[in-house]
Formats: sequence, C-alpha cells, structure tokens
Amino acid sequence: MKRILLTLLMMSLLFLGGCWDRTEINDLAIITGAAIDAADDNQIELSVQVFIPRALSAGRGSTSSGGNLTLVKSAKGASIADAIALLQTKIPRKIFWGHCEVFIFGEDMAKRGIAEEMDFLVRHPQPRERAYMFVSKGKAAKTLELRPELERYSSEVIREMSDMHIGMLVTIIQLKEMLRGKSNAAALPLIDVMPPPNEAKGLETAPYIMGTAVFRKGKMVGEINEKATRGVMWIRGEVERYTVTAKLKNVQGTVSLNPIHSDIKFIPSIRNGQWQMTIKAKTEGDVVQNGTNLDMSNPEMIKLVEKAFQQDIEDRIELALKQVQHEMKADIFDFATDFYREYPQEWKAAKNNWDEIFPNVKVITDIHAYVRRPGLVTLPGGIPEEEVREK
Amino acid sequence: MLEKGKISAFQMGVMMYPTIIATAILSLPATMATYAHNDLWLSPIWASFAGFLTVYVSHRLHQYYPQQTLIEYSCQIVGLIPGKLIGFLYCFLYLMWTGQIVRNYAEFVVGAFLFNTPIVVVIASMILVCVFAVRGGIEVIGRAALLFMPLFVLPLCLMVLLLLPDLDWQNFFPVLENGIVPSLKGAVVPHIWLGEFWLTAFLFPLLADSSKGRKWGMLSVLAVTITMIATNLFSLFLFGSDVSSMLYPLMIASRYVSIADFFENLESVVMAVWVLGAFVKISVFFYVIVLGSAQLMEVTDYRPLVWPIGFLIVLFSFWGIPNMIVFNYLDETSLPYYGFFMQILLPLLLLLIAKLRNKPQRMKSAA
Repeated sequence: MKRILLTLLMMSLLFLGGCWDRTEINDLAIITGAAIDAADDNQIELSVQVFIPRALSAGRGSTSSGGNLTLVKSAKGASIADAIALLQTKIPRKIFWGHCEVFIFGEDMAKRGIAEEMDFLVRHPQPRERAYMFVSKGKAAKTLELRPELERYSSEVIREMSDMHIGMLVTIIQLKEMLRGKSNAAALPLIDVMPPPNEAKGLETAPYIMGTAVFRKGKMVGEINEKATRGVMWIRGEVERYTVTAKLKNVQGTVSLNPIHSDIKFIPSIRNGQWQMTIKAKTEGDVVQNGTNLDMSNPEMIKLVEKAFQQDIEDRIELALKQVQHEMKADIFDFATDFYREYPQEWKAAKNNWDEIFPNVKVITDIHAYVRRPGLVTLPGGIPEEEVREK
Repeated sequence: MLEKGKISAFQMGVMMYPTIIATAILSLPATMATYAHNDLWLSPIWASFAGFLTVYVSHRLHQYYPQQTLIEYSCQIVGLIPGKLIGFLYCFLYLMWTGQIVRNYAEFVVGAFLFNTPIVVVIASMILVCVFAVRGGIEVIGRAALLFMPLFVLPLCLMVLLLLPDLDWQNFFPVLENGIVPSLKGAVVPHIWLGEFWLTAFLFPLLADSSKGRKWGMLSVLAVTITMIATNLFSLFLFGSDVSSMLYPLMIASRYVSIADFFENLESVVMAVWVLGAFVKISVFFYVIVLGSAQLMEVTDYRPLVWPIGFLIVLFSFWGIPNMIVFNYLDETSLPYYGFFMQILLPLLLLLIAKLRNKPQRMKSAA
C-alpha cells in the first residue's frame, strides 16, 4: 500500500513539474504600443513598439538620454492577426500583448473603418480591455518612433496624457460599447506629433492630444478641435481638470477658474413628436487668476464671474453641438441611450430612423456655475487699491 | 450506510454554494443577458424557485426515508426495477454533467490562460486531485469546502470593490422594457444550476444534525441567488448591454481593474478562485456519482469505484463535446428540457408517490 502511494506521489510530480505555458521573460517581446495603418490593396500595416529591456539596464549609468528604449517593427497583412504572423518572423522573441496599453489607428485606417480590427482586440485573449484607443493625424506608425524627452517611450506619453483627462479617454471596452451601442457613433481622441523644436532633434519630440475623431458606423467622418472637444467632454460628463478662462462683459481682462466638480444630467423628452434633450449641468470652481480690476471678495462681483463662467461653458457646448450634431450628424454623446431608457416604446419605433432624428433633436442647456473660493487673495494682485472696482 | 462520515448541515450549505456558483458566475451572466437584456438581474430570482423547490422536495423525501439516499428510496417508492432505473438515470446524468463541468473548467483555463497546455492534462490533473478528495469521503470534501469558502468569496468581493469607479448604474434602466417575459426566458438556463440543489437528496442522510438540513439548504439557495443577482448587476453596470457578447464577463471584469497604474491584471486571481470553486463543484458531483453507483450496485465499499469513475469522467468530458460552440449551444437547447425533467418533474413525481404510499401507513399506525 505504501509503495503504491509513493508511486502515486511521484507520478504527481509529472503534473507539477512540467508546464507547457512556461515562458521566460527574456523570450518575450513586450509590446508597449501598436499602430494600425491602412496599406494598399485593402491591407493593413501593423507597427509595434517593442520594449528593449537591455537598454533599460544599460542606460541607467549613462547621463545621455540618447539610448533608445524601444524599437519599432512593422508588417503588412490582410488583418491584424495576419500581420502579427508576419511580424513574428521579424522579431526573435514571442510577441506579447499583455502590456500593450495604447492602440493607435492611422487616419486613413479610421476612415476606411475600424470594425474588422476591433474584433481582434476584443477576441484575442492577450490585449487588455483597458488599453487606450487613439486615432492619429496622418500615419500612426510615426508616433511610435518618437523619442520623447520626459517619458520613456511615446506610447507612455499619450497614455499619461489621457489619464489626466486632457482629451477624451476611451478604452477598448468603451469603444466596443460605442460601436455596438444604440447611437451608431463613436469618438476617439485624436493625436498628433508636436513639431520638434529644431530640425536637428528630429524624432526627439512627443505626441499630444489635439482633438477628437468622430466615427459614424465604425468609420471616421470628421474631427473636431481641442476647443470643441472640451464641449463634447462637458456633454459627456468627462471634464475633470482644466481651466476655464472667461471674458466678462464690459470689463477688461479675463478671469480664470479651475472647475473642481461638475455634475451633468440629461433629461430627454418627446413632446408632440419633437425630440428634446435638456442638459443640466452644475459646476463649481475656484478663481486661480483674476486679470480684471474686480474685487473678488464682493459677492456682487462673484456673480458677474459666475455668469461669465456659465456663458463660457454654454458656448463650448454649443460649439460642440454645432460641429458634431449638425455637421457630422454623429451621436457621440449617446443621446440614443438616454432616449431609450426614458422612452423605450418610442425608441423602438424610431430606432431605425435615429440618424435622421438625431440632427433635429433640440438641445436645451441649463447650466449653473458657481464660484466657491476666491483663491488666496481677494483683491486683484497686481494693481493699486484705488483702481479696484467695487461695484 | 456506505458512508461512515458525517457532516454538519452548515457544512452542507457551504459545500453547495461553490457547487452551484463556481460555473454559474462565469458564463451564465452572458446567457441570461442574451435573453433578458438589461433585466438579467431578475432571472436568478425566477430561477431560485427551482432551487427552493428542489431543497423542499428532497427534504420532504428525506423525512419519509431518513436514513436513505435517493438511490435507495426510489426503489422503495416505485419498486425495485423502476427504482433501479431511476437510480441509474441519476448516476448517468451526473456522470455526464460532471464530464461537462470538467470540460467547461478546462476550456476556460486553456482558452484564457494556458494556451499551449493540452486540455487533457488540465482535465486529468483536476480529476486526480478530486479522486483523492472523494476517496477521503464526505468529511474531507466538507472540510475542504469550508476552508476554500472565504478564499472563494473574498476575492470576488474585492474585485467588485475595485471596479466601483467604473460602474454605471444607469445601465439598469429601462426596467421591464418588454414586460416580464424576457427575464423569464433568461431564467430557463440558470434554473438548471439552481436545480442542482437536488444533490442534497444524496447529502441529507449524511448530516449529523439533519433537523437543520432544510434551513441550511434554503439559506444556501438564497446565498446563491443573491450572488447571481449581484454578479449580473455588476456585469450589467460595467459592460452595459454588451454582456451578452462575452464568453466570460467576470474574467474580463477582473482584467479591467486598474488602481493607481500598478494594481491591475487581476485575472490570475479569478483563475485561482475558479480553480478552488471548480474543485469543490467537481468533488461534490464526483462523490455523489460514486456513492450513488455504489448503492445502485449494492457493493460494500465505494472506494474501489473512485478510480474507474474518475476515468469515466475524463472520457465524458470529451464525448459529445466537439468544441465550445456546440457546448454552449447544447446548454441553451437540450439541457433545460432534460434538466427540468430530472431535477424538477421526477423529484416531484417521487414525492407524490411517496406521499400516497406513506399516508395509509401512518393512518394504520395511528389506528
């Protein structure tokens, strides 16, 4: 009996010792960012940014930042999966997607349609659902080749920027929800490369988020600039930290505020066949710069600032609506879902005509902006007391 | 009795919880979402009736035949030959299901984690561990379940907590958009999972404190229902109507966790939890088959049966399941029918006959 048990125990070693999926880290090519561009003949070109671990350990002692931490390889194929197979023949290590946090579509690719390639990203077990998605102005691959000065590699730059909510932040899962959602529209942050300070530095620059790419039915139909993006983010309730600089009526100079908290509500309504959306927003902020001669300790003056604050947000929202709702006719605010939740029956009847209804949805904004704190000084910081306006 | 060991009613309740939940939380949210859309949280409530009913029925039968399991008392209820036939049906059903459970477990492990490992290795190693547990008897399984319970529940709670910032409770609306029917349709498949509480028909005679058996059985059903509602709501809030397109929503949720840029990629935690849960689930089913077939064949010890049945389970995990697509298809097409028959109709029928048989006897003894 004991002998049998011993044999059994030893046999179990077979199961414990061997592991088919053992992969040493020095057999992996860790991808930090990927770019998908359109190529001829309906093909795609996949470029990947591969992390070079040796550069990290060697570069520690030296003072120059010249050492490249990543290398970029690309391959053409019928789809991402096909291109990876070709790419693998050019890289001596096994391609590993688990740390790829940035996927960039080239502008041409985005215009051709991203649906086919999205399937790979959600179906393959390796890409992370939280990876961020972008569209690049021009070719996406060039972004990966940049050598930013502050971060270790360019995909980290845009990831960090997205985390600050400067532009929109869209993960794979969120993009999937948008593409499969009721509105038939999607939006992705649009990035571009900052022009290098001088010719000699060439690639030593970084990408930045310049606006938003707007998609309809999986195809990019247009782009909006940084200013209108703020409006879109206001409507989507994604604004986190940025500064509102408002021009007051009949007053010289501007006042800047840091909104610290905002609360957005959508109230859809259908009256006599007129689809209407009320956007209710409440926001609070602190004064960070007062370029006017107003006394910030005076409640009357604060009211003026609040009014300008409110006007500025309204303008931005209107700008976004004008471009997105009326020109591109893409429901990236997902009004469709709001209507569906409130009016499921009406929605069922109208959902096939949503593309015609959406541009005609009447949008009413109801914004309440409050100034909570004047900052560390009350009176304008740079002018003599006599010039301060108290009324 | 073949089994000398005894477990407490509380242990049975704890044991049944992962036995149902282990496979229920991974693929069922998607199945329910397919039919019930955003009313998917209602489906477990409807399905829970199946759970409460089976516990009730199995406990009533236990009261009629306190020292016997289903295999034994079915012979007394409907006669020797039909009773043996019913016993064989259950043993065979559980054998087939255990094969499917093991396959489901292995497909998940291979499809999402160990891509290059042959699936038979994953299956065989799990069965090997379960063989040791089953040979140890019900006490070993009961204690293992008790030990693993917190390890199974806490990581899941932790995951929900970590994903709170990503949840959008507005996905809850509109409630009952198409009336109550979609949520009822969504309950068709999960009612099989809750009906698996019929396993208690084999466990009640093993209880040291059988008076508390029904209470803990019911509480276990309640816990399972609440867990299913919670995981359904959680996946709905996180993924919206998109839950239905995912094979393993909870695994994807665990990958979605990202706190402060470094606390992320928690899917290995879900994997570990899933292995623990699957171990308890497979062991319980395995044990019931072994005990059931030993009683069916009226042998004096069930231990010699453990290895051959373990081997059969490995075979059943391949037979009739060419791929995951067919597996999921069968889960939604044939399983609800025969599952309903075996777990709801047949037990009710047995109870009815048992009632008719026992009534005159009781009157006689009173007279």
